[in-house]
Amino acid sequence: MPELTSIERIGNILRRKPVDRIGVFEHFWGDTHKKWTREGHIKEGESLDDHFGFDISVCWCFNLVAKLNFEPEVIEETEETVLARDGNGAVLRRHKLHDSTPEHVDFLVKDRAGWEQHIKPFLTPDRARINFEAYRNVKRAAAERNRFFVWGGVNVFELMHPVCGHEYMLVGAAVDPDWVKDMVDVYSTLTVQLMETLFAEEGLPDGIWFYEDMGFKQRPFMSLDMYRDLIQPGHKKTIDFCRGLGLPVIMHSCGYVEPLVPGMLEAGIDCLQVIEVKAGMDLLRLYKDYGDRLSFMGGMDVRKLYSNDRSLIEEELASKIPVVKGHYGYVLHSDHSIPDQVEYESYKYFVQRGLELGTY
Amino acid sequence: MADLLAQIATCIERGKVNAASPYPPDMKGQDGANELVRKALDEGILPDDVLQKGLVVGMNSIGQKFSENKVFVPDLLMAAKAMQAGMAHLKPFFESGAAHHKGTFICGTVQGDLHDIGKNLVCMVVEGGGYKVIDLGVDVSSEKFVAALEANPGAVIGMSALLTTTMVNMEKTTKLVKEKDPSTKVIVGGAPLTDEFAKKIGADAYSPDPQGAVKFLSQVA
Repeated sequence: MPELTSIERIGNILRRKPVDRIGVFEHFWGDTHKKWTREGHIKEGESLDDHFGFDISVCWCFNLVAKLNFEPEVIEETEETVLARDGNGAVLRRHKLHDSTPEHVDFLVKDRAGWEQHIKPFLTPDRARINFEAYRNVKRAAAERNRFFVWGGVNVFELMHPVCGHEYMLVGAAVDPDWVKDMVDVYSTLTVQLMETLFAEEGLPDGIWFYEDMGFKQRPFMSLDMYRDLIQPGHKKTIDFCRGLGLPVIMHSCGYVEPLVPGMLEAGIDCLQVIEVKAGMDLLRLYKDYGDRLSFMGGMDVRKLYSNDRSLIEEELASKIPVVKGHYGYVLHSDHSIPDQVEYESYKYFVQRGLELGTY
Repeated sequence: MADLLAQIATCIERGKVNAASPYPPDMKGQDGANELVRKALDEGILPDDVLQKGLVVGMNSIGQKFSENKVFVPDLLMAAKAMQAGMAHLKPFFESGAAHHKGTFICGTVQGDLHDIGKNLVCMVVEGGGYKVIDLGVDVSSEKFVAALEANPGAVIGMSALLTTTMVNMEKTTKLVKEKDPSTKVIVGGAPLTDEFAKKIGADAYSPDPQGAVKFLSQVA
């Protein structure tokens, strides 16, 4: 097969149609990019997408915080951390010296009453929630490189927990499921409204990428039944809208979400990403069970990468890629993201060897 | 007595906090852990029996089901809430010495790491297993773990990490703790961890889930 453009390649991979090779994309920690630049591997200002020839460009351009004009209120600052209240009324502690998700310290919203008072009235489809310029620029740059351009953003699960935290949200799912259903409906409706505005004015992307962290080590946050009852309606609403426009949908989830995959398929996803091995996800098992209906991105154990041991990286690639490229539905990606312990040469080898094995 | 303790265990396992709680729907209107523990104590059942034969039985059962992916985080959180409601009645007995914990567990997320969900779940289940839990929070330095151990001799140390960059701090803490008291037992957990890593850093155990910590404590505490 002649060489395809990235737009053609990823478009086909997400629909499991023949391609010249598997796709390639990656997420990096900010510290990794800085370190490799400092070491002289990456030029100042050069993007890793360009450097490694990735097939996908993602643009995050929605802001769904409740109070758009709220200036974060710093409550406490130390040499290493900063504790601040954000526009969702959440008090979060962030590390200043390295990349890390924040500590959940307190939330204004602990139940339905808090949601109805502090958040819901503010979630209007305000144009200020959309960064039109960023979308336009990334879309144009992707087109210039024939790169597959996706709108990226979070879906309902990842929109709810920044407002009330995982614990209040999941207790709410048990004691007041109608509250959680209302949050899901409000956020999914708002997402569709904003997409309608953006796409009408700036044109369609090539695909959609929803980020939803619905699992952790060896288990999802909820049962499949609870997913179907509470979360899936929001996924269906947003995915139906996107697929109605002919856009394939990638869904990311960290953690072990294998038990939720049947429900995610019912919701209409085309590709599952990121398939976190250390959480218990198994790319080969997923491929065997769902490879005819679902494309995959990820599932390469990053621990092998940060071992910086070529033989372990080779073993990881050789044991998986020849199998999962079978239905033409695979994009090479680590099982989470690349931390700064991964040496540049190790990652470069991972891409080169991965694509070699992934060429049809 | 046995019936009442069995009912308490059921309330914990099902997450029935009190009579007013609408959860679980099939127990709506029934007494919960709050009322039944009070009743058991008023009827003269020993506080240790209420704890070990009622509350702990229920929490161990839900913890085991959680390990087996038969129940999920919302179920565990509700069980922990029911446990807290029951334990509130036992607090005076712990203070007077009429009720006893099985041991002490010092738990925290290691330095540089601000994740707390996994650590919180472990604390809930271990406390529900009948142990006194000293939760040091997140971003905990080695020195802070050692200070907590000095204040609580004989305690077991539990460390959590979500990041590959911070799990290396477990090694330093384990070393310091063992230098302070070589008999101290250390258990570690978190997304990037493995049994192999635990052995490498000199920890005594690794657990992928909260109930594994309870099992370990039952062997060593």
